[in-house]
Amino acid sequence: MSGFNVEVAQNVEISKKIPCQKPLLEQLTIMERYTDVHRSMSNSTKEHREVECLKVLYPTLFREIESCDLIAGRIDFLPIGFGSVTSLGGVGHYCVFRKLREMQTQLDQSQKHRIDKLYDYWLDHDVKTQFNKETVNGTTLGTFIDCDYPMITTARLSGMMLDYPLLLDNGISGLKQILQRHLEYAPNNSFYQSGIECLNLFTQCAEALQTMVRKDIESASQSRKKELLTMYESLGVIKEDKPQTFHQAIQLFWLYALLAGVINYGRLDDYLGPYLAADLEAGRLSEQEAYDYILSLWTLIENRRTTVNGRIIVGGRGRKHPKEADIFLHLAMQVAKNSRYVEPQFTLRVDENTSEQIWDEAMDAIGAGATYPTLYNDEINVPAVAYGMRIDEKTAEQYVPFGCTEFVIQGQSTGTPNICINILKILTIFLNGGIDPIDGVRKDGGVKIKRLEDFGSYEDFYDGFKELLNYYLDLAVEAQYNSYIVMNRYVGFLFSSLLTADCISRGKPILGGGVRYLGGTNETYGNINTSDSLQAIKELVFEQHKYSLREINDALLANFEGYELMRKHCVECQKYGNDLSDADNTANDLYEFVAKGVRDRGIAIGMQYYLIVISNNQLNTEWGNQTGASPDGRLSAMYMNPANNPQGGANKNGPTALLNSLARFDAKYHGGSVQNIKFTPALFNGYRDTIKCLFKTYFRKGGCHLMVTIVDRGILEDAMAHPEKYPDLIVRVSGFSAVFVDLSPNIQQELLSRVLYDDKQ
Amino acid sequence: MMINSNMTNTKIEDREMVRLLEIERFAIHDGPGIRTVVFFQGCPLHCPWCANPESQTVSAQLFYDVQKCAKCGECVNSCPYDSLSLCDGVLDIDRLACKGCGECVEHCPQSAMKLVGVEMSVDEVMSVILRDKDYYESSGGGVTFSGGEALLQLDCLLELLKRCNAEGISTAIETCGQVPTSSIINVLPYVDLLLFDVKHTDSNKLKQVIGASKELIMDNLRQIAWYDSSKVVIRVPCVAGFNFEDAFFDELFELALGLNIRRVELLPYHILGVEKYRKLGLQYKGNGKSLDVMLLNPIKERGDSLDLHVCFSI
Repeated sequence: MSGFNVEVAQNVEISKKIPCQKPLLEQLTIMERYTDVHRSMSNSTKEHREVECLKVLYPTLFREIESCDLIAGRIDFLPIGFGSVTSLGGVGHYCVFRKLREMQTQLDQSQKHRIDKLYDYWLDHDVKTQFNKETVNGTTLGTFIDCDYPMITTARLSGMMLDYPLLLDNGISGLKQILQRHLEYAPNNSFYQSGIECLNLFTQCAEALQTMVRKDIESASQSRKKELLTMYESLGVIKEDKPQTFHQAIQLFWLYALLAGVINYGRLDDYLGPYLAADLEAGRLSEQEAYDYILSLWTLIENRRTTVNGRIIVGGRGRKHPKEADIFLHLAMQVAKNSRYVEPQFTLRVDENTSEQIWDEAMDAIGAGATYPTLYNDEINVPAVAYGMRIDEKTAEQYVPFGCTEFVIQGQSTGTPNICINILKILTIFLNGGIDPIDGVRKDGGVKIKRLEDFGSYEDFYDGFKELLNYYLDLAVEAQYNSYIVMNRYVGFLFSSLLTADCISRGKPILGGGVRYLGGTNETYGNINTSDSLQAIKELVFEQHKYSLREINDALLANFEGYELMRKHCVECQKYGNDLSDADNTANDLYEFVAKGVRDRGIAIGMQYYLIVISNNQLNTEWGNQTGASPDGRLSAMYMNPANNPQGGANKNGPTALLNSLARFDAKYHGGSVQNIKFTPALFNGYRDTIKCLFKTYFRKGGCHLMVTIVDRGILEDAMAHPEKYPDLIVRVSGFSAVFVDLSPNIQQELLSRVLYDDKQ
Repeated sequence: MMINSNMTNTKIEDREMVRLLEIERFAIHDGPGIRTVVFFQGCPLHCPWCANPESQTVSAQLFYDVQKCAKCGECVNSCPYDSLSLCDGVLDIDRLACKGCGECVEHCPQSAMKLVGVEMSVDEVMSVILRDKDYYESSGGGVTFSGGEALLQLDCLLELLKRCNAEGISTAIETCGQVPTSSIINVLPYVDLLLFDVKHTDSNKLKQVIGASKELIMDNLRQIAWYDSSKVVIRVPCVAGFNFEDAFFDELFELALGLNIRRVELLPYHILGVEKYRKLGLQYKGNGKSLDVMLLNPIKERGDSLDLHVCFSI
């Protein structure tokens, strides 16, 4: 047995997954077959084993084509299988033990033992479990998502955004030829051999889909027949050849993304725009048809229900076909506005050349309550990424945010966040001599911590805290790096590797030395609570001498009960987010310490880059629930601040002050930082030009990014009381959007606490 | 203590310090674009509908929020002037004895006590103003000096206006007009926009209800219009039972046209300030119902038909 709970939830799952189409017993049989192949191939190369296992899954796991689909391709996944991310199945050869157990409860008594057998086998073979066994330590580093620990880790390959131009320009047969040419020089290279096998499997899947489509044609109405025929023909072309039309290009891209198990898609405007433009120009396609295809793609992405992924990026610098890309952009903007899906996460990159028309379309979509597009500022991000990732600006122009906001270079880098760190929890541990006040467990990693009475100055205190942080940052980079070593030991992520530079030219899969830029990210939580806490300690203990550190910590341990006045004084200290120099400087100092600490360690261990992301899913709430009271006045078990935004309600000086504080952090030290802002429709839509100026000025002043929620005063409260009335109320949680009523009450409370900017004072 | 019209010549002892109610950033209602509004304390009028009663007096005002109060008595113990007493669970504030020292605010664990009104140096005010300079420039906004009545603290106001001019920041003043004409003439060269209140055209009503002099106000308005009528927006608080009648608006529009002032802004009466009266221990004398903004439409139409530009916000 592994020394941790393998059944703990491994990722955030808000959107409810669509159940598998296959009957239970058939699912079980597929998993057994997969397991048999996996077992029998234990002496083969990992690449060969991977492709043989994939053959068990595909095309078997394709779902029927839905009557609304204009693009073919839906996939089920099972508790056992192959993947690259935790939000769809699992990582590498995976077993999701919790879901396997759930399945067991639905089986007849006579069949239950079959699950036990699988369960036992995979305890020793699930890639993530193998990683966890080697990495977590029982005190300071736990597994995803176990909020008892100050730091948690996982093995996954999130955020891969593939080099789709390579696919579209060559088609499957063209790619195969490339691999074959390489194979002539390296006849024993199992990456090339298995790569070709993967592409054969792709062709087989396209043919299987053709068979499904043909079956549907027989009973289809006249109008549906036409749609199905288009799908049939496109599949027929792209199963080997490169696409000629917009529809074929989408079909090829989509089917490949499905088989690669990637859930972020990248700069589709630039990749698909030329096909769209050519079709429109030649009169082969109407704008309405193009809109419908894009909407169908949106629906397919939504139906994968990955909660925090599904990124499609449009606009910005470095597009090869900006004119054609903009045609796609305009249509996609309408789809994003009208569809009211939480995924795909539609993302607009803006720069100084972004037209007013695009700005206005974006404001329209946001103002309609879509929460999309999210906005990224190239003028800041491109040079920041160039510095952060140590690449030239031309390459940095291909940055794309995935998941909650983490950046990768499309088709050229990895950026998976395999570590999350709760900085505030570490501060509460530091204040208690290494003991976590929430559970009384020592989590100091052997770092010597002075008694509170012995800190002579704020700097002395802060230095001590930094020393404990250093221990955690050392641990973080080692675990991140080890996740790559362990994953590479077992799998090649072949489909993704084929479309990632420089895997083909080097003859190696992504993590085996193939990827051009081996990067990674580290999600940091509680940043602002921590800096506000440091600020409060500085003011109350070392400047005003109002309380001693011991008195403050006594109050924290009592969760401020009996210390109400002290809590008030804590709350009244300067807070980040109000454009106040002291609090913002404290926040910036801590930010730079952590960000540079992570980055420097990444370089030292041999990665191209390892950057913090001040991202956020809903872990700020869940982890906050397991974090003691803090000197910023936050109560024990209360949610923590979202991403690098202030704690809900702490920003009292209006949106310009908030944005000035947000723009304070130099973007070059992070690999993405989520910035949320919330307006009422009366303010956002009633003062559209003013708000547009607000955003643009913020961007000019150094703002890297914005995610905007538009919601009326009182609506969220009403939705909590009457969820049935709000089935499509979409809010930005932080790095992702969700239907508000699908969120749990503690998350809803955190969203409610955030300042809502209104036109009424 | 209310300030009345004979106090308009109040001199500030330290010309560098200015008495403010607050500074509001990202203000979008008092002039174009994104603005910072500096609310001065002290007003020569006493409009019964005033939504900022704490701005009428030139001193820190104690807000007491009974909802938040836990009746713990910490404030009573902390008050050096014995101005607080707790009797049968009711906190009594002797507002004449209160010196606004803030001890009770400091000691109240519930944040039920709050002092409103601050004294700031011109430098401090400017440092806040400058923080949003980029936003003013991009949005066609700037700074609005409002109140209270900004022109009552003329020296500081002039200094702030000049500094804004030097920084290239657009400026506006919101005034009730009940100020010495010389004050207005002094600031005019430094102001890009004047939001000038015309609350009534009937001298009796002006005098009796709000303590204003029609003669002075009209004289000031004329001076400004002669100087540059394009800088002026006439603002009218629309209050049922006081001025919300056709005859008044007819006269008002005639007045505007006669002075070649084209812009008129209607401010519907609202009761958002009622809570503040309670916190200040004052009796609210306005009527208890906000004006239905839809009633402003016909007035706007009438004004627009006369070639005026009449606006109101909802």
